[in-house]
Amino acid sequence: MSAERPCCGSAPSAPPAGRAWSRRDLLLRGGGTVALAGAAAAAGWKLYDPRGDAGLQPPEPIRLPDYFRPVGFEPGAPRISAAYGSLDRIEPMVRAALAGLNPAGMGRFVGRGDVVLLKPNVGFDRGPELGATTNPQVVRAVIRLCREAGASRIIVADNPIENPPACFAKSGIRAAAEAEGAEVVIHSTAHDAPVAVRPGRPDAARREALGTWPIFWKPLSRATRVIGIAPVKDHNLCHASMSMKNWYGLLGGRRNQFHQAIHDIVSDLGFMMRPTLVVADGTRVMMRNGPTGGRLDDIRPGGVAGRPVVVASVDQLACDSWCYQHLLGRDPAALSYLELAWEKFGADPARLTARHWQEYRLQGKVVETGVV
Amino acid sequence: MRITTVRILVQAVVMALFMTFVFVTTFSHLEDVPALAFWVSKFLEIDPLVSIATALATHTVYQGLIWSLLLLIPTLLLGRFFCNWICPFGTLHQFTGWLLGRRTARERIEANRYRRRYAVKYCILAAMLVAAAFGSLQVGLLDPICLLHRSLTASVLGALNAPLAAVFGDPKIHQLSWVVGGLLVLLVGLNLAVPRFFCRVLCPLGATLGVLSRWALWRIERDPARCTDCDLCLQNCEGACDPHTQLRKSECFVCFNCIEDCPHDALRFAFLPPRHHEIAWPDVPGRRAALAAFGGLLFFPFTRLSGRSTRDFSTAVIRPPGSVEELEFLERCIKCDQCIRVCPTNVLQPAMLEAGLEGLWTPVMNFRMGFCQLNCTACGQVCPTGAIQRITVARKLGVGPHAADGPVKLGTAHFDHGRCLPWSKNIPCVVCEEVCPTSPKAIHCEYRQMPVRDGKKLVASATATTVTLAEYPPPGQAFGEPCDMRRGQYRGDQTTRYYVRVVHRDGTSETHRVLDHDADTLLIGEPDPAGGEPLTGSRFSRVPARGEIAEIHLEFKVPKIDTGLCIGCGLCELECPVVGDRRAVYVTAEGETRSEQYLQRDRNRSLRLMKGA
Repeated sequence: MSAERPCCGSAPSAPPAGRAWSRRDLLLRGGGTVALAGAAAAAGWKLYDPRGDAGLQPPEPIRLPDYFRPVGFEPGAPRISAAYGSLDRIEPMVRAALAGLNPAGMGRFVGRGDVVLLKPNVGFDRGPELGATTNPQVVRAVIRLCREAGASRIIVADNPIENPPACFAKSGIRAAAEAEGAEVVIHSTAHDAPVAVRPGRPDAARREALGTWPIFWKPLSRATRVIGIAPVKDHNLCHASMSMKNWYGLLGGRRNQFHQAIHDIVSDLGFMMRPTLVVADGTRVMMRNGPTGGRLDDIRPGGVAGRPVVVASVDQLACDSWCYQHLLGRDPAALSYLELAWEKFGADPARLTARHWQEYRLQGKVVETGVV
Repeated sequence: MRITTVRILVQAVVMALFMTFVFVTTFSHLEDVPALAFWVSKFLEIDPLVSIATALATHTVYQGLIWSLLLLIPTLLLGRFFCNWICPFGTLHQFTGWLLGRRTARERIEANRYRRRYAVKYCILAAMLVAAAFGSLQVGLLDPICLLHRSLTASVLGALNAPLAAVFGDPKIHQLSWVVGGLLVLLVGLNLAVPRFFCRVLCPLGATLGVLSRWALWRIERDPARCTDCDLCLQNCEGACDPHTQLRKSECFVCFNCIEDCPHDALRFAFLPPRHHEIAWPDVPGRRAALAAFGGLLFFPFTRLSGRSTRDFSTAVIRPPGSVEELEFLERCIKCDQCIRVCPTNVLQPAMLEAGLEGLWTPVMNFRMGFCQLNCTACGQVCPTGAIQRITVARKLGVGPHAADGPVKLGTAHFDHGRCLPWSKNIPCVVCEEVCPTSPKAIHCEYRQMPVRDGKKLVASATATTVTLAEYPPPGQAFGEPCDMRRGQYRGDQTTRYYVRVVHRDGTSETHRVLDHDADTLLIGEPDPAGGEPLTGSRFSRVPARGEIAEIHLEFKVPKIDTGLCIGCGLCELECPVVGDRRAVYVTAEGETRSEQYLQRDRNRSLRLMKGA
């Protein structure tokens, strides 16, 4: 056997000695060579980068849609609706707050078949009693209202500072979402996509900070409605974390550098996101040591209002202004990011906002109700 | 069913169980599921080498390690059956050899004869046990269960996770993962050179079981009357235990392949067969074993006197919460890296040489990777040897019944004033204060006013609430150019405020907040038309005169640390935007709770004591 096969395994198999190449062999081998060369040339042509700057081209950014536009604006309707109650009457408070904005309640904002993204603040690995995260019962009530209004899919998402699964578990928000049949999306860098907050570069002289930035896009990509559900908290640097600061949790990337211009960035977040609705959770207000807190002493139910309150609003700027005064007991005229937000988008006729909640009060657009 | 088929099924089931346990260890809320916490460490807990070595080092058998007694029973009855029925690393080697082996039957018979070098494992065992008796536990370097746990944790599972990030989240990152993974590939690859190389040559657990199986009641027995000396029993022999002649009892894996392969039914598994048919003890010449033990004897002073665990300790060695003091830690940690697997934030990393050679692959915290989560004690729940104690969250936080003890401190944060943005660059930041999770916050701030660049001007003219400025003149010139400040340059906001400090000719000075300005004039208050106090802002107590100095200052928060409150969780370091290899705020092991009681030890650097002094 081995005698018939000399040099086995050493040289590539040549045609047996004495046998010439057939025309068929020649065509097959030659054709193969031509095909390979053609494929290589085509691939080279397709991938050719003559300027050599392909490595400098960032991916095409996404533009964030206006989540309020489909709802449409009612000129005379209330803009801020606050419902006072108690810690064991959360759902009626949320219902009352929504009913204050509109007789149809949530039905005004969410319709049949809508995909709703709820953005609570799940920033920290802390229990709900510490008020560092949105009250899970408020989240639960909003989910229920969206469901009743006909939403086909409800997504709850946030990109917390601490470990995401732990934050969702400890805050009780995962349990609340799952109890009501909403999905929780846990952040991963694979979920981020660059979003163009404004065309071109931000102008630092105009206190702009965000140009194009990675945003937690996966939960947003399918959403037709966005509702922010922010707890009202003291904040060490920007003085208060409320509806507008809440969008910070949609940022990816190395967002910790934004603290160097915190008011610029918070007002940019208000510029970036135009939500369908914001709900401010004033049930357990963190009065100091924010935004982390950590002690029950830091918490006061209802803040300076003294009674737990849930606020619903179609204007995040005025809503924050109202909460800053009524819950934290501070002067909204001094809150820099509200002033900057007003400068950035207050004049935009599509956004219909107010610099100060007092303007709405004079127009009779602030509704306060009590739930017993 | 053939006995070897049963064996393969058992191996497959055990392997699946092992992989399941390793996989579910990712689930970091183990304390909520006691059944999981009970099961995930079982393979490490039944490992007799782990319990013998930790017992030598600590004179105790920690909690679940008592389960290792369970494995002694079948070993004392049947021999090293663990190696070919249970051990997942052994299964991996056998599987690799089967899958990739290309030897002919004749070559296999030759490859499976006993070699003198297979006694090396006994020397390794002797060295490791002697080192353990001195307080340096090194069995984890080569113990197959520890090694496989570590390799899966630090390399393999991460590599499998990477392409599935969209499903399972981002893979964890482990420092020098390639070394751990490369070692695994090397050891498994060596099967192609020598079948079961690791099991036959290196495995200290196999050596332990080999010694114990000297007393086994059953073993493979050859009937010389039926044997034709065809050596076919060797072609699939896993242990290289010479079943064709006098059986080497300490080498036999009880795989039963020889019985299957014998064409003459000359082999059987027999109860107390004749003694002269076996070689009961491992074949280790006494002098070599003594030399190996001597090596272990020397290992301890060589490494300990390198000083990395004593006086020259690295403050980068920050151990997980609940860890025992460093010297006790080195007596207990088996480098299985289960704690690293379970850690939800990826802060735990396998050490390279920062904890000394002794501490290779032990868990340390790297706060550039993650931080120690406040409400988490997962690492302690899975530690099989008590290097990290099973503490409760209440103990970690120092609340409830532990309020008097205070929180478990991993270390203390420090600021690098040369890198910190507010401290060195007049840039407001204090992310560290924001994320500091203690209450009250250990990182607190004070407002400082720092002169801004080119902020020194001269007063050109002034009113009670405005001051018009000129540039500070160059030498030899009496008065500078008119100022041309950029609109909004010194406006500031609620968080960062600009002030103007006017130094009067008599040396007194006054400072006022800048409300607004235009190209050359600063506004410090809006005057009351009636002439009273300004409506907003302030007014000069003495109207500045032309030629007096006016300095523009920026006021912002600079962070400081209250060492008494800092728990060393590292969240400040992780979130610090100064992302060089050294953050502007960083945690070191100083002040760690675990060293507090050990006043005579080198790592005891209690900042608390210094505070009291």
